[in-house]
Parts: sequence; C-alpha cells; structure tokens
Amino acid sequence: MTTASIASPQLLERTPRAPLGRLLGAELRWVLRRPRTLAAFGVLALVPLGLGLLMSMMDFGAAPLQGPPVLASLLGNGMVLPLAAMGMAMPLLMPMIVSMTAADAIAGESSHGTLRGLLIAPIGRTRLVVVKAVGVAAVTALAVAVLALLGITAGVAFTGTTEFTSLSGTSLTFMEGIGRVGVAAAWVWLQMFAVAAVALALSSLTDHPLVVLAVMMGTLIVFAVLGGIGDLSWLHPVLLTTGWMSVIDVIRDPMESTALVESSVRALCYIVIGLSATIARMATKDS
Amino acid sequence: MDRKKATVAAAAVGALAGAVGLTVLAMPSGAGAAPVLPPVNPEQLVQSVLSQKEIPALGGTVEGKTNLGIPAIPNLPQELSGMSAKVWSDGTGKSRVSTSKTGSEKIAVNDGTTAWSYDSSTKVVTKHTYDKSKAPKERPSELNDPAAAAKQIIDVIRPNSSISVDGTASVAGRDAYELVLAPAPTERTLLREVRIAVDAEKRIPLRVVVLANGSSDPVAQFGFTKLDIGAQDPKLFTFTPPAGAKVEDSTGKFKDFENSHREEFEKNRKPGETPKLPDNDLFKVIGEGWDTTVAGRLPKQDQLPKNDPKNDKAQGQNPMDLVKQFGTKVEGPWGKGYLITTKVGTGLLTEDGRFAAGAVPSQVLIEAIGTVK
Repeated sequence: MTTASIASPQLLERTPRAPLGRLLGAELRWVLRRPRTLAAFGVLALVPLGLGLLMSMMDFGAAPLQGPPVLASLLGNGMVLPLAAMGMAMPLLMPMIVSMTAADAIAGESSHGTLRGLLIAPIGRTRLVVVKAVGVAAVTALAVAVLALLGITAGVAFTGTTEFTSLSGTSLTFMEGIGRVGVAAAWVWLQMFAVAAVALALSSLTDHPLVVLAVMMGTLIVFAVLGGIGDLSWLHPVLLTTGWMSVIDVIRDPMESTALVESSVRALCYIVIGLSATIARMATKDS
Repeated sequence: MDRKKATVAAAAVGALAGAVGLTVLAMPSGAGAAPVLPPVNPEQLVQSVLSQKEIPALGGTVEGKTNLGIPAIPNLPQELSGMSAKVWSDGTGKSRVSTSKTGSEKIAVNDGTTAWSYDSSTKVVTKHTYDKSKAPKERPSELNDPAAAAKQIIDVIRPNSSISVDGTASVAGRDAYELVLAPAPTERTLLREVRIAVDAEKRIPLRVVVLANGSSDPVAQFGFTKLDIGAQDPKLFTFTPPAGAKVEDSTGKFKDFENSHREEFEKNRKPGETPKLPDNDLFKVIGEGWDTTVAGRLPKQDQLPKNDPKNDKAQGQNPMDLVKQFGTKVEGPWGKGYLITTKVGTGLLTEDGRFAAGAVPSQVLIEAIGTVK
C-alpha cells in the first residue's frame, strides 16, 4: 500500500494527493485476493449448485412436494433457481460475508496496526472511507454475481429448458428471465450493501473485526425476530430485514414492484446512515 | 480544524436524512382530506350504483382486514384476518384476480369464454369453459329499472335502519361519497354502522367498513387501496397453461352441479314467490333487521365427524369440542351452554345441541334459544 512519507508540514502541503483510481485499484486487488474472500465465494457457489441437485432429485418422485412453495415452482423452471438461491443466502450467509469484508476493511486494518499508515497517508479521510466502501461494494457485487450466474447456469443445466414460467402462470422468454434475475440481483446487492454500510460504521468504532461480525449478525437476528411479532407492526417499516422475502416478486407477471421499491428506499436510508457515521468517525479518529 | 468540522457536520446531516427517510417509511399513509362534492341524497346514490351494468375497465389492489375479536382457533383460515388481491377488469366482462403469498400466487382469469385458475404452489390449472349463449342474460325484471330497485332496497332497509350520505372520503386516491347504514335505536345489535364509499364519478363501491359499538377501529374493512380506472393491458385477460402444469377441465362437472341445483330450486319455487329460508326446528330465523338471529339444533352427536387424530384439519373437528375449548360456560333457566363472543357477533351452543347466533348481545340469543324445542 501507499507508504507514508514523514515529511515536514510544508512539504506535505505541496504533496499531490494520491490518485483515486490507483487507490481503488490497490484496495480491490487487496480485498479480492484475500483467501477468505475467495473461500466465501466458494461457499456461496454451493447454494445454487445444491439447490439444482435437490431439484433434480425431487424430479424423480411424483409425490406432491412438501416444503416451501417456491421450491414447487422450481420444478422444470430454471429461472427460479437463481432467485431461490438469492433468497436462501440473503438472511444469513450473504450478510455474514459482507459484514466480514466490512470488518476487515477498517477494524481489521486497525487490529493489524496498518490503519495508522492509511490515516497518515496523503488521502483525505472521506476518500479513505469511499475507497473502503467501494472495496466492500465490489465484494458484495461479486457475491451476488456468483449466485445469479451460477444459478442461471445450474437452472438451465438441471432443467434443460431456457423457458420459464412466472408465478402468475405466464411463460417468459429466456431474455425476459435474464432481465428479471438482473433486477433481483441489483436489489439483493442494494440490500446487502446496506448491511455492509452499517457494518463499516461498526468497523470504524472498534479495533476488533469479530465484534463487527457479532454485532451485525446479532442485529439482523433481532430484526428478524422483531419482524415476526405482529404486534410490533408499526416498527416493521424501519427494520432492514422487513422486505427481504420480496425478491420472489420479480417473477410475478406483471412484476409486483411495491415491496421491492419500498425495501430499496429503506436500504438507501441505511446506506446513507451507515456511510455518514463511518465518515464522521473516521474524520475524528486519532492517527 | 475547519475541514474536519465540516466533514462531521455533513455526515451528521447525512445520518439525519437517513433517519428521517426511515421515519417517513414508518408513517402510516394518512387518509387524504375529504373532497368537496355536490350533495346527493341516498336514493339517488343507490340508484346510480345500481344503474352500472358492468364493472368499468380498472386495475387495482383490494385489501380486506378484520379485527373481529375471534378467539385464536388453530387451523382457522388466514383469510379471515386479512387478505389482499390484485384485480383487473377490461370493462367487457373479462377479468383477472391474483392473490399472492410469499413464494406463491393464485390467479383466476376470465377471458370471456373460459374461466382459468392457476396455483403456482401446486402447478394445477383448472379451466371451465362456459357457453355465453346459455348464461342468464337478463337480470331479474325488478333489477332492470335501477330507480325502482333502489326504492325497493331502501324500503326494505328503512324500517330498521337509518340510511344517509354522511360526507365524503378519499379512497385509493379517488373521491367518494360515504353511504352510511346505521341500525335504528330500537335494534339490539353489536354493530354501530356500515359505511360504503361510492366513487363519485364512476358510481362503483370502493370500500365497505363495518364498525361495532365500543370501538373506533373498524371490525371489518374491505376495499381498494390502489385503483387505476382506465384501459388495462389486454394481455392480462388471456391465459395459456404454462409448460409442466397439470390441467383439469371442470367444464362438465360444474355444469351438472349447477343444473341439478337449479332444477331443484325451480321445482320448490312457486311462481312470483321469493325463495325463503327453511323454517323448522333444525334451523330457523328469528327477528328481522339488525338483530336477526339464527337458531336451531345440531345434528345428533353420532352423526358428527369424530375427531380423527390423523386428520388435524379444522373441518374434521367436532364443533362441540371446539366450542368447549374457546367458549365461556353460561347457564340459565334455558339450560347450560357455551358462549362465544366477538366484536361483531355472539354464538351460543347448549350442551343438548341447540344453537343460536347473530350480530347481537348474548341476552337476545338467550331469548332466541328458548324458542328452539
């Protein structure tokens, strides 16, 4: 990474700022080459593959299907697989991966003692947060891409058909299907980046990456519990996890967008809060 | 450092903006201000509703919510506490209804010649082709003249109720009149009033709200939450069974069922007489208006379905066991029994199998049960 030159204050004033592109490139290389990131992608890849296998095994039996109704529409329907994979990874697996990345981004550097170097390097604190956020966003995007692309591939491979049926019983073409999966992927990315933004804020508050992971997962579990209590329905619109089941709405025809839009607005609010808190904390952090 | 302060201030504003955004999301969407509409009297309003021959072309969301205060009985259908459906109509009789659950969807499409239904969780399509020429085209003669029909309906309602147009409301973004039916003061009922919002322009009912005594929250509410009146995508009114779905044709079956019932009905009906509910000790209707109660005697215990441990569905349950579980025990000169009270109605079942129910307080039921032998 950038080495800090210990120069006189006058010299520092004149030092040109490190170009943002180079910083981003360095951060991305650093994040994406990390073995645990690659391991996480590997675990995520198991989700669509496992679902595909399960689906092909269920196809043998003619008995009526027991289990979540989404799985029923999986049968002979390749395009539902990427969505089911995203739906399954969303509650725990994906938040864990993005929280881990966000924890490494600031708290991890802090615990290794490398954050000090970044803080005295010739980068503004806000730009540092932007660089870190882009790194986390890239990991999140790749994680979603793994689910979506492997999901489509596995879906088509296991069902042997590129056509797909919406939940409303209409047939959609392969390209329409790809479009719907794309919408779902973008939405999942936004939701997961909201988790990441809050995790980044936690990450800037502590020196221990594990604390970030624990608090983040604890929060999401509490949100899920609160979301299940009907008497607290007034609180539900504030909980990030509230609309997470609505990913399946993309394969209704016409597409049912109310819940998707509302949860996207909610995710944006969390992103703004999380990143603002991170910037505020980093700006006041002593190097 | 000024720069640091500015950064922190900007971040604080950002966090505040996010928090405000979340608060706005959590705010209930308040009812719009009541629109100002030209006054209309209830007769005119009812008449204009009845003169609408077809549902206009529209697309919208219908939601129903109840707060009946029913005891929590397992296996009770979820639809009782709340439902939501998307509906579309093209204005010529074709329609589509879709009810969504997490991960599945049920749709019903009427494309003008065939009624289709599809359930994505079972992948079963049922189709019912009907012959338009055989369908009863004419409405009963009384309904052909909306003015006469409106008068007839209001004449039936008037003796027991007050009917009025009580202000206006904004329902699903449309201006509406509120037609209010309230029981006359002499009626002994748990219900306070029924409010029907009628679209001011199209004269179709948009919302029905039932209010009970002692509560300002509606006990039941059913109506549009989103409504777009106008031409809809014609693709919505067609249906092709998807690949891999099982298609069941119910055309024949349904017709037989329909015909056998119609024949029976016609046989029992004397010309010019309106059909009446049977009146005997097994089932009778007592009183009229808002405090109508139904009373009667359940079939003998041994004819009732026994509780089958293998079948835990509610339909297999003996009603007596269910009532014992959720009712309160009451007794009086009329016998011993169990009383189930909700916000909208009361039910009474005695140990010897007599029952009475109605939208009335329990005293009325006790009077009614005394008339059952």
